[in-house]
Amino acid sequence: MLKNYLKTAFRNLWRYKGFSLINISSLAVGITCCLIIGLFVWDELKYDKFIPEGENIYRMYTEDTDVNGTTSTASVAPMFATYLQSNYPEVESTTRLLMFNGKLLLEVNGISSYENKGLIADSSFFTMFPLKFLRGDPKTALEGATSVVISETLAKKYFPDADPIGKIIKIDKTDFAVKGVLAEIPEHFHLDLQYIIPMPAAGVEKERMERWTWNQFFTYVKVKPGTNVQLLQSKFQAAVKKEVHREFAADGSSYVPFFQPLKDIHLKSSEFIYDNAKRGNSVYVKGLSIIVLFVLIIACFNFINLATARSFRRAKEIGVRKVIGAHRSQLIFQFTGETILFSVIAVVLAALAAYLLLPSLNAFTGKSISFNPITDPALGAFLLATSVIIGILAGIYPALFMSGFQPIRVLKGLKPVNSGGSTIGLRQALVIVQFALSALLIICTIIVYNQMNFLQKKDLGFNKDQILYFDLPGDLAKDPETLKSELLKSTGIVSVTAGYGLPGDQLAGDGVIIPGKEGDRNQSVNLFIVDHDYIKTMGLKVLTGRDFSKEFKTDNEEAFIINETAVKEMGFGSTEQAIGQRLKWDKWEPDSINPVKKGKVIGVVKDFHYKSLHEKVSSAVLIIYPEATVKMAMKVKQEELPKTLDYIKTTWTKFSPAYPLDYKFLDENFEAMYQSEQKLSTLLWIFTMMAIFVGCLGLFGLAAFNAEQRTKEIGIRKVLGASSLDIVTMLSKNFLKPVLIASIIAFPVAWWLMKSWLEDFPYRIEITAWVFLLTAAASLLIAFLTVSFHAVKAAISNPVKSLRTE
Amino acid sequence: MIQLKHIFHWVNQGGKRVFILKDINMEVNEGEFISVMGASGSGKSTLLHILGTIQEPNEGDYFLKGESVYQLKEKQRSLLMKQNIGIVFQAYHLIDELTVYENIETPLLYLNIPASERKARVAEMLDKFQIVGKKDLFPSQLSGGQQQIVGIARALIIEPTLLLADEPTGNLNSKQGEEIMNIFKELNQEGVTIVQVTHSEKNAAYGTRIITLSDGQIEHAKNDQ
Ligand SMILES: Nc1ncnc2c1ncn2[C@@H]1O[C@H](COP(=O)(O)OP(=O)(O)OP(=O)(O)O)[C@@H](O)[C@H]1O
Ligand SMILES: [Mg+2]
Repeated sequence: MLKNYLKTAFRNLWRYKGFSLINISSLAVGITCCLIIGLFVWDELKYDKFIPEGENIYRMYTEDTDVNGTTSTASVAPMFATYLQSNYPEVESTTRLLMFNGKLLLEVNGISSYENKGLIADSSFFTMFPLKFLRGDPKTALEGATSVVISETLAKKYFPDADPIGKIIKIDKTDFAVKGVLAEIPEHFHLDLQYIIPMPAAGVEKERMERWTWNQFFTYVKVKPGTNVQLLQSKFQAAVKKEVHREFAADGSSYVPFFQPLKDIHLKSSEFIYDNAKRGNSVYVKGLSIIVLFVLIIACFNFINLATARSFRRAKEIGVRKVIGAHRSQLIFQFTGETILFSVIAVVLAALAAYLLLPSLNAFTGKSISFNPITDPALGAFLLATSVIIGILAGIYPALFMSGFQPIRVLKGLKPVNSGGSTIGLRQALVIVQFALSALLIICTIIVYNQMNFLQKKDLGFNKDQILYFDLPGDLAKDPETLKSELLKSTGIVSVTAGYGLPGDQLAGDGVIIPGKEGDRNQSVNLFIVDHDYIKTMGLKVLTGRDFSKEFKTDNEEAFIINETAVKEMGFGSTEQAIGQRLKWDKWEPDSINPVKKGKVIGVVKDFHYKSLHEKVSSAVLIIYPEATVKMAMKVKQEELPKTLDYIKTTWTKFSPAYPLDYKFLDENFEAMYQSEQKLSTLLWIFTMMAIFVGCLGLFGLAAFNAEQRTKEIGIRKVLGASSLDIVTMLSKNFLKPVLIASIIAFPVAWWLMKSWLEDFPYRIEITAWVFLLTAAASLLIAFLTVSFHAVKAAISNPVKSLRTE
Repeated sequence: MIQLKHIFHWVNQGGKRVFILKDINMEVNEGEFISVMGASGSGKSTLLHILGTIQEPNEGDYFLKGESVYQLKEKQRSLLMKQNIGIVFQAYHLIDELTVYENIETPLLYLNIPASERKARVAEMLDKFQIVGKKDLFPSQLSGGQQQIVGIARALIIEPTLLLADEPTGNLNSKQGEEIMNIFKELNQEGVTIVQVTHSEKNAAYGTRIITLSDGQIEHAKNDQ
């Protein structure tokens, strides 16, 4: 029986090659998209699942609400861990990581380089996250102040032919003893690390470690099994409220701690600031899942559409089979079996395609996903099961429909069902859904693309291109002027500035004091430690007042430059009125003579986007305070860049032979900020194309079928005098209407979706009508081109021929 | 073997009932070879379709081997039919995607006959109609007469007790038609009950009895009631 079915199935497949090709290829494309994205999503969901008892581990974060809204921060005060550990018996252990950029200079016998994946951790780190050790004892590896645990990679790099245990590594010029070597760190760990040094190595004074307000630690809490974490959380929230109330509640803002489950860290932290985790974005993961689901739906609808359309061709077979004894269930089984066959073929092709495309996906996402259904039988079985399910989903309706044909009608040569109306209606409905989904994707793609373009093209208020910068080690930071003037001797360097606070780089958040009649007012700002060349080098625009100038000796001690937002937030009125306003600032390292910088606003600069455009520009204050200088930035000329770089390197070595030069370009930081949207945009393009392609394949098939079915009618009409244009119009009209309706359905949905997506951007494009018009026009054009191919073919065919063959 | 009692069949046209069959009462005994005749549109095919249960009348009773067909459950009825009735059509109605061999074999598949027995029975059938050489051809590669022979072979493969044929020779030339009629006669002699619809007096004469329909009613039937 099965053999008989298979035979008919294969012969049918072969006999209607075009139809089969369309069906299989559209399904294969749909499944390929699903596989690729499925693998990606699966990989994203794998994060931190390998950690034993991970379900009991939480990371602390806080939600800080003030006038500017709520921000979630992953870094918390050092007392969080201490308090949790000592006050709640349900807390099993805690561990903290000190927030720092991870970059330190490592040196072993002449091998020296900056390693930027370092952690500073409490000694309980490996109890909470039991990473595998190749050498050493995890329990004691982080004891003391001068131990270090390194990765296998670093072990090979610094100790190519010796056992590193017990050996000395100089880290930032201090000796550390290697106490452990980690085996390969699982890719799906939310922390990216190459080496770990113990907390005491950071040398934080005891007093600071007891603060409730120094938000510098990533804090993990492991609770005992069965703990009610909600309850613990609310107890702790109350405690924090008590401890830090004075600090935060003054101006109506709030500061609330939360427990974030370990498994949520990777995907649900995308909004967090000050986070060190490898972060994905659950919105994008969900979005992509939905998009591929769309593609798959479109492909399955093709299947249903073409199968019901084609079913009339098979009506006779069905009628005959019924008359000679086939039961309806047997026919349903037969036809579903055929679609399963199709979908198995499609899945095999898709698996092959996914296998071939995977390297590109890995390159694109920076992951190392593997996919081989042959060596992984579970995956193979899963794929097979999926293909059967897809086959059933796509095939069951056509099978039910076809098996319901009344043999009497078929045998009499009538249409096999009472009126073709219902299936034509269904087909139109499915085409509408397909095109609505496509239109939705087109609109989203255009808007995401436009927004990305907008962000990229937006005037940032400063010049981020060709700015090179590096850290200044201690000695150099104290006297940057000599290095500056030496660098300026190169014709390739336009200007040089030293300070702390470059756009897109680390920034200092602090407060300034606005003296007033009713007393002093605090204003939180981003503080930029600059010199006389900062504004020139970064290309900031001075709107009113002036830049710092060496001609005014008082500028060093008494001058403030603020941005437009600060003018508003500080309540100075206009930029002109801001000039001359008094400001005060508590110095970071107060000297006995002048612990407070007191002075006046001497200039207002145009707002510049020193953070990503995901955040609104906040108040910025520029001051001269050489004591805090840590970085040097310079504008270089694009021409002769290699020569200039050589010059910078030799000059650096002259000044600081102990440290290798480690420079970066400022625009790299900005590119990194939009990477996830950029990738989303690219993926959207790809999958939208796929959706449209698959939808068009289906439409193409339907049009072919329609034209073929009406060959005789067309022949007669032509004999009666219809022009080719009349025929094309007649055949195309039917298809264009659903496309138009689809657009109309898709518009409000797309508008709403995109509106909420754009709301996350403080700087965003307006959704304009032309996007919708363009989409409607594009859908119509695509549909028309697809359909008219057959319409034109039918219209120009010789009527005599078509009538004779009928 | 067969009893039709008060069979009425109609269609509604413009709110009025147009009768296709009107109060048909007939009986077919085992071993009979009945020819149904009548003008075009008189309801012959409809009658045959009702006998084959491809169609159900609006009113009336149908007894097959003592069972009231319309009272049976769907499953039982279909089993009764596929075990007892073979149907031959004027337009052959072979499955284009299957070879001669497979076409003949298909009804056995639906009866869940084991493969070895199927093979034997199809071989026997191919032999009987001398179409062994054509077994791997597709219907489109056969002449009309040959297709009809395959159609008959397919109807007979289930060893039916009743063979229904709707103008089996309608599309064939007279020589081919004669051949088919001789096959029917032989089958009848082997004990198969046959009801055929025909327009040809000559073909009708092969049968043991003629029923004439006119406007959906039986005309000069020898009334067996
Ligand atoms: N679905 C239907 N709707 C309306 N009338 C129908 C329908 N089916 C059959 N008829 C009518 O029923 C009548 C009997 O049809 P039937 O096919 O049984 O005739 P027939 O005797 O086999 O004719 P022929 O010799 O031409 O094959 C015809 O008049 C036909 O028009
Ligand atoms: Mg007829």
